[in-house]
Amino acid sequence: MSNKSNTPASAATKSHAAPGDSWSPTNGQPIVRICDLKKSFGAVEVLKGVDIDIKKSEVVVILGPSGSGKSTLLRCVNRLEQPTGGEVWFEDIMVNAKKTDINEVRKRIGMVFQSFNLFPHLTAKGNVMIAQRKVLKRSKAEAARIAMEQLDRVGLGDRVDYYPAQLSGGQQQRVAIARALAMNPHVMLFDEVTSALDPELVRGVLDVMKELADAGMTMIVVTHEMGFAREVATRVVFMDGGVIVEEGTPSEVFDNPQHERTKDFLGHIS
Amino acid sequence: MESFLQWWETFPITRLFFSFEVMQGAFPVILKAFPVSLFFGVAAFVIAIPGGLLLAFMKMGRTRLVRWPATIYIDVVRGTPLFLQILIVYFGVATLPFWREMIVAYPWMKQPFLFGIDFTFYLRGLTVLALNSSAYMAEIFRAGIQSIHKGQMEAARSLGMPTPIAMAYVIIPQTIRRILPTLMSEFILLFKDTALLSAVGIAEMTLRAREFAASTFNQSAYIVAAAFYLLITIPLGRFVARLEDKLAESEGGGGARPDEDAAQPPLPPVLTHDHMNAR
Repeated sequence: MSNKSNTPASAATKSHAAPGDSWSPTNGQPIVRICDLKKSFGAVEVLKGVDIDIKKSEVVVILGPSGSGKSTLLRCVNRLEQPTGGEVWFEDIMVNAKKTDINEVRKRIGMVFQSFNLFPHLTAKGNVMIAQRKVLKRSKAEAARIAMEQLDRVGLGDRVDYYPAQLSGGQQQRVAIARALAMNPHVMLFDEVTSALDPELVRGVLDVMKELADAGMTMIVVTHEMGFAREVATRVVFMDGGVIVEEGTPSEVFDNPQHERTKDFLGHIS
Repeated sequence: MESFLQWWETFPITRLFFSFEVMQGAFPVILKAFPVSLFFGVAAFVIAIPGGLLLAFMKMGRTRLVRWPATIYIDVVRGTPLFLQILIVYFGVATLPFWREMIVAYPWMKQPFLFGIDFTFYLRGLTVLALNSSAYMAEIFRAGIQSIHKGQMEAARSLGMPTPIAMAYVIIPQTIRRILPTLMSEFILLFKDTALLSAVGIAEMTLRAREFAASTFNQSAYIVAAAFYLLITIPLGRFVARLEDKLAESEGGGGARPDEDAAQPPLPPVLTHDHMNAR
């Protein structure tokens, strides 16, 4: 692992020598850069060298069969999994450098999980407030105001005092999105967020995600919702066996897949 | 009435175990000792909570250097009789040179402290009960914390919470809710175990009952003491059962989705408890 160098391997020409001096959200540089990312669990190599650059306001949808490493890739971005090789950059910070304060990175990367993971002992509002209070140190009044705003935004303005157990799966997932948004993230990660939902509840969650994309949020989305990928993605990445097999615009990947494995996968899905 | 009492005393069983006359005499004596028993139970319980938490976190620690001492301590304490531990600590401590020096240096320790019992009795009695209970509590806390779905920690961490903050505001509150019945059962056990302190001369209910029984050649005082123990244990036991039902309802009722149910490990066996048979 080339931790000593502060420069991503595949972007050596870009000026990232000293973190903090050159990155700016407006100069067109990628907000997330993944260079030759490798991850093994014991003897099993799940990611075998993945490279992706993600620019601001991009919506990148990652497709692939189960076990292809999509979720692991996503979890390496905020270091829920520690990469075993390569580099992950978020803005001007190397995420997987030992000296990086990972909490500073996570503050600005929102994540939504397949199993919602709402805090069951807190109301919807409490769920959205807790990290604002304890991480961003916002005042109670401000955290509450922002919580109401975000819950309103995901269409749950009338459910703020409900506990997770009193909400449907779709509503819970929207609370989870509001919880992440309340931190003003620069990037949102979605890890198969509709896979645990009953079919009739999927729509509401996807609508929220689409609105978010339309508002310019940078998003990395692992999903099996092909309709969403086609409609909302700015780029589709197809992974298999721990590598990126193919990537391009939705129409490139869906209508004219180049690779045999992509064709095979899309054939099975639709 | 007079004839009923005479008739009652004609049977050996009723005369020796349920004599109204003896019970009447024993009642005020044991009533006076009731707060002593309760105090030892409650105080040891309160002291054991932080101790148990510390041991639980040690046992879940990252390095062996932290895990092993906790594991050994818990195994030894849970694997030996409390009575033996009381004898070791109670009489063992008294033979230590520092203990004698301490009593010489602080004579107030030998003065009556609470309920006319001197402070050294509290120090040793509470220490051994709390040390014992903290080992049991450590396992309750550990099992409780580990029963919380790992997605909870991941969600908290993904929001930028450092581990201690996530523990304090996300994991522990859920743990407390889940282990409250088990913890209350542990209190019931501890409260009953205070009777063992009678062996080292702490004047709690069982000691007073024993003295009374010895002086009257009659066992009825024990029955009075038993009634006082039941006064605490039965209502609390009922309350624990109700609490468990409520908890099962709120955790099962329409909450978790199928996926989450599948990922949720079943509660470890240490959380199943029957406070009459747990030790």
